[in-house]
Amino acid sequence: MNGFIHSFESLAAVDGAGIRCAVFMAGCPLRCAYCHNPDTWDITKAPIQMTPYDFVKKVSRYKPYYKKDGGVTFSGGEPLLQAEFIKECVSHLKEAGIGYVIDTSGYIPLDDTVKYVLKGADAVLLDLKFWDDESYLKYTGKSMENTLKTLDFLESINKPTVIRTVVIPEINDTREMIEKYLTHVRDKKCVRKYELLAFHTMGFFKYRELGIENRFADKAALDKSTKEELQHFVDSLL
Amino acid sequence: MNQWRNFKEGLWNSEINVSDFIKRNYTPYFGDSDFLQGTTERTTSVRKKVEELLIEENNKGGVLNIDTDHVSSILSHKPGYVDKEKDIIVGLQTDEPLKRAVNPFAGYRNAVQACQAYGYEIGENINNEFKYRTTHNTGVFRVYTETMRKARHAGVLTGLPDAYARGRIIGDYRRIALYGMDYLVKERALDKKRISERDMDASTIQLIEDIEKQLEFMKQLVEMAKEYGCDITRPADNAHEAIQWLYFGYLGAVKEQNGAANSIGRISSFIDIYIQRDIEEGALDELHAQELIDDLVIKMRLVRHLRTPEYNSLFAGDPVWVTCSLAGMCDDGTTLVTKTCYRFLQTLYNLGPSAEPNITVLWSQNLPEPFKKFCAKVSIDTDSIQYENDDVMRKDFGDDYSIACCVSAMKTGKQMQFFGARCNLAKVLLMALNGGKDEIYGEQIAPEGKIFEEEVLDYEQVLEAFKYYAAWMAKLYVNTMNVIHYMHDRYAYERLMMSLHDVEPERLMAFGISGLSVLTDSLSAIKYAKVKAIKDERGIIVDFETEGDFPKYGNDDDRVDSIAKWITEFFYAELCKTKAYRGAKHTLSILTITSNVVYGSKTGATPDGRKKGEPFAPGANPMHGRDKEGALSSLNSVAKICYDCCQDGISNTFSITPDTLGDSDETRVQNLVDVLDGYFVQDAHHLNVNVLNRQKLIDAMNDPTLYPSLTIRVSGYAVNFNKLTKDKQLEVISRTFHEKM
Repeated sequence: MNGFIHSFESLAAVDGAGIRCAVFMAGCPLRCAYCHNPDTWDITKAPIQMTPYDFVKKVSRYKPYYKKDGGVTFSGGEPLLQAEFIKECVSHLKEAGIGYVIDTSGYIPLDDTVKYVLKGADAVLLDLKFWDDESYLKYTGKSMENTLKTLDFLESINKPTVIRTVVIPEINDTREMIEKYLTHVRDKKCVRKYELLAFHTMGFFKYRELGIENRFADKAALDKSTKEELQHFVDSLL
Repeated sequence: MNQWRNFKEGLWNSEINVSDFIKRNYTPYFGDSDFLQGTTERTTSVRKKVEELLIEENNKGGVLNIDTDHVSSILSHKPGYVDKEKDIIVGLQTDEPLKRAVNPFAGYRNAVQACQAYGYEIGENINNEFKYRTTHNTGVFRVYTETMRKARHAGVLTGLPDAYARGRIIGDYRRIALYGMDYLVKERALDKKRISERDMDASTIQLIEDIEKQLEFMKQLVEMAKEYGCDITRPADNAHEAIQWLYFGYLGAVKEQNGAANSIGRISSFIDIYIQRDIEEGALDELHAQELIDDLVIKMRLVRHLRTPEYNSLFAGDPVWVTCSLAGMCDDGTTLVTKTCYRFLQTLYNLGPSAEPNITVLWSQNLPEPFKKFCAKVSIDTDSIQYENDDVMRKDFGDDYSIACCVSAMKTGKQMQFFGARCNLAKVLLMALNGGKDEIYGEQIAPEGKIFEEEVLDYEQVLEAFKYYAAWMAKLYVNTMNVIHYMHDRYAYERLMMSLHDVEPERLMAFGISGLSVLTDSLSAIKYAKVKAIKDERGIIVDFETEGDFPKYGNDDDRVDSIAKWITEFFYAELCKTKAYRGAKHTLSILTITSNVVYGSKTGATPDGRKKGEPFAPGANPMHGRDKEGALSSLNSVAKICYDCCQDGISNTFSITPDTLGDSDETRVQNLVDVLDGYFVQDAHHLNVNVLNRQKLIDAMNDPTLYPSLTIRVSGYAVNFNKLTKDKQLEVISRTFHEKM
């Protein structure tokens, strides 16, 4: 079985603890309006295909840097779309003594394979993309339901979880809006951190290159101070 | 002897052996940086004065003043001070701070041109004297063959120290503090007596004359110190004197010599012994210990040589490479980190970031964790330090080596180096394709061979041709270097520096490669893609058409990284086939300083897709923008180049944005430590670390007043960004910055 991969970033120090190698898996069922990696959406256009063996061999090359906290981060795209592939990879990673983190939208239904992969992770980065079902449908094209189910599952196994939300000008860049998100996570003990990410425009060129409509094309990047202010607000409530 | 009170005795009492002294007497430090102190009022006021002088120097186009009447030597100038009342560590190269002296021994024309460039004329008496004096430069050109001149002109052999002093030699200045000059003079006189018993062949005669020159300058150094009111005939009595004595040695050396790199060696843990004793005796406290180091570092920052503007544009800024090596481990497994290693790093806060001294941390997996973290913090805050792998170098150089210039290790006081600049191997490939002709001038430089046809290049054939021409070039290179160093020894011998070595030191001849990544990717393109040669009207291959993709160096891909590794091993083996002058051992570096821009400008288009005249990547770096899988892949590729065949250093410069390194100060520090550990545990050799945003450099380029002391690591050393020429600023900005999207 081959994994379909968009790209590697061998030093990704902010997607999880320690020094991380991020693998951006190809394919995503969502169509988030703010996505800065639209080039990862289509799994059939994945530039890299590799076997679990080759994958493990490759990411093991960075083992000297991982130390006690670092490891692999499966990101995307939606990595759990290829849960079978990841399952096979992580069993080898475990043998090599390398931990991993899953960076997911939580949209993929929780079958046994997905559960296995989530259970084995050092931590899960879970996107809470919008605040309710309606906004989810509007901006991602899918329902919120599965994401909340995934969060419940992570809570049930007490998996260290980081919730991540992209703050977008004029959509959710106020305290009132952020509070709506927090209602979903407040009672969850598995949530170790709620991290806000600033909307940026660095992926816009990809939409142009791919000829895909960019629904946020007229938006500007969120300024750093707004993000920081909201982050303080979140930190004070959790 | 009272100066040695409370020191543990050992071998060092019966022979000159500073390393033994250190090991028996130093106090390793495992704690954190909390003990460090800021500046005294005195330091603040001297710092201010120095900063004003630096601004004035900069406003005058980079040179504050030149003494055109006296040839620089140990006793050529009266004592000079930054502030006579306030200087603690005294001594300047001339009678005023930043006033430059003329030193024409390596090349008279260069000295004349350097003066003229800044609006000065060399004085009549110097002019008269050098009418009748042979300089190093004159000697070299008497002997250079036509082929050597052609290779030099084309820029295949380039940056050769044939018109300027070779530098890279480090006196063991600690000896002066520990033993005093009387003892050192007495020992050297005994050496002479012993060696004079030998049969008088050319090498013995040369050595005896060398020793006599050394003795003369050792005596002059004593005189120089006396003019500053110090008696260095005896050992230093306390920390202040220890620092002053060894600084006098260094000062004498830079007054005598204007070599390209004048490094100070490995002095921190030696000094620490004296500071520790003073503190225990109640004679010194931490604030004033720091003040001593601060004042020494101020003096190091004021060292200047008179250079031509062309030289400065080649090396960027006005570097002296006062390389100061810190930390490392003892052979017995204890760390050589002392509080004084911290104190030297602290100067970057107390005195602000700076290119000089070139602070070099000898990194080991086993350094104390708090020290690793402090280094990482200083790197992130100041971009002013570089790292070299002690675990790798210690195997070849023991535990008392120093770094000269950027990445050149040598056993302190026991080895010296004949600096050999570098050979442009990317050009050698073009020469191989063109049957020995230079692709720019069209001149036949190497033996005539077949010019490849205008068709898809065959890898095996290209490789054969490359091997033939690289082997030919290696022989020419060694022979050229032999001429240069014979003449340098003869006409510009480093009398004082060599007096602070063992009498018959081991000699290293340091060759270099430039264009490694260009050559590697070019061979990869020919091997894995279809590369068609294109000729111009002269019938010379000047361009290439490449069809298809090929693996590129910098992505941790063995298919191409193995080519880079092979090139270094092959070329080193070829160099070793030709005997080096004075029994020197061949070494090799992958280091370009900032001259990667100049080397690129002298090189035609290459099969990797690089256009004619475009800069090379610096040192062993992958080409900008070709390392697609992020920082660690890039580091892993460079780590594969083997130090065994590149014992003069493998330079890698690494720039990363703060946000990529982590989202808080604490994680950035820990992540940088992990990067360094992970890189060096793979036996990689060197890493320059810059943690900054590209935008900051662009802003600084557009408005230099925004960041007047912006310091960045370039290739084995640091520069003040504002002192770079515009094309170098642009090149630095175009380098790969590892950043997250």
